[in-house]
Amino acid sequence: MAERELEVMTEIHRIVTEELEWKGAVEPSQDLVRDLQLDSLGLTVLAVGLENRFRIRLSEEDAQGVRTVGDLAKLVAQRVAAPVEPIPEEALP
Amino acid sequence: MLSASGQDRSPSIRAVGRALPPHYASQEQLIAAFREMWATRHFNLERLEDLHRAVRVGGRHLALPLEAYPPLLTFQQRNDAWIRSATELGETVVRQALDAAELTPGEVDHVFFVTVTGIATPSIDARLANRMRFREDFKRTPLFGLGCVAGAAGVARAADYLRGFPEHTAVVIAVELCSLTLQREDLSIPNIIASGLFGDGAACAVLRGAAAPGARGPRVVASRSVFYPDTERIMGWDVVDSGFKVVLSAKVPGLVKDHIRGNVDGFLAQHGLKRGDIRHWVAHTGGPKVLEAFEEALELAPSALERSWASLREVGNLSSASVLFVLGETLESVRAQPGEWGVMMAMGPGFGAEMVLLRW
Repeated sequence: MAERELEVMTEIHRIVTEELEWKGAVEPSQDLVRDLQLDSLGLTVLAVGLENRFRIRLSEEDAQGVRTVGDLAKLVAQRVAAPVEPIPEEALP
Repeated sequence: MLSASGQDRSPSIRAVGRALPPHYASQEQLIAAFREMWATRHFNLERLEDLHRAVRVGGRHLALPLEAYPPLLTFQQRNDAWIRSATELGETVVRQALDAAELTPGEVDHVFFVTVTGIATPSIDARLANRMRFREDFKRTPLFGLGCVAGAAGVARAADYLRGFPEHTAVVIAVELCSLTLQREDLSIPNIIASGLFGDGAACAVLRGAAAPGARGPRVVASRSVFYPDTERIMGWDVVDSGFKVVLSAKVPGLVKDHIRGNVDGFLAQHGLKRGDIRHWVAHTGGPKVLEAFEEALELAPSALERSWASLREVGNLSSASVLFVLGETLESVRAQPGEWGVMMAMGPGFGAEMVLLRW
């Protein structure tokens, strides 16, 4: 696992244990909903925590391909490495 | 089916007064006011704006003008403002309800005062007694802590009382000023959702016992409380130095979905009724997911909770006052026929539910 993904894993672990009061282990293979028992509010808290820590934006479309803790760590690491460029002002109508 | 004699002892709901504080702010105005504070901790503000819009509330009436909130830094400052506004709004709503019921303050035997958004000793009912001149022997039951369920529970407890004192008159006053509980420094997602959903308002239901003259309005035939064990962290307050910090779990709609059907069916069966016999549903405006859960679990027609949806859209979740707003709308706008049945239902911290069986 790349260094950045490990950093994201650490943050995911912090959020689910400290903010979402999860008592068990947090592993890349775990399903966010089935294994970590995250409901819609829990998933939002997790997404907001990662957005704040890594200064990125996660969207509904991003969520489509994310099922496990590892999927999420990979997505966030990719987004940090290649942030979505803001649309230049002159390109706006 | 309930016996005729059983019905004879049922108190009736004579009138429901409703009042909203004068300072209205649209959801977009509120979002604009919150943005700067959110930006001190959160990166993706659009996500937070979406959370505020997802609760399907168009705006809220606030106890104070928007600019009056930032200077309120301590619990004492907020609670002092709460006592002032709660007393004002309480008086307005009691006078309105008593006028509609064609009664005077001197005819009130028992005041149930419910709230979860501020504390006062003497409680607000005592302050209202001094302003409105209730009799010196009027009975007081202030109820703090039931949260959103307290509007329905207050009516149920008042009806219990009136079965014992059928010549008496009771008022149930619900005053909730949720805006004065807001912990601006709490930038957690549950608090941000709560700050998008809850509004300020007050309601007062006037109930009279079966032996009181001039009976009219739906009768409270029965009620049933349901307590869900081991659900203390679903909803509530953590009382902190700065006031009431909200505890709000996304499990609330799931709890409704899992339990309300069995609760309602069991309650109705005790009275020989089925869901199909209920013409009027008076549901607490918990939020869009809670209302959808009610509709789905109880297999309600799309228009059954129309008044709850409208109330949510117009004023937000008013905690205990919400269900009384919907009840008042039902009394005034629905041409209910004698013999028609209704169910009032609400849920709140505990976690628990209260169901009230009404008959016109």
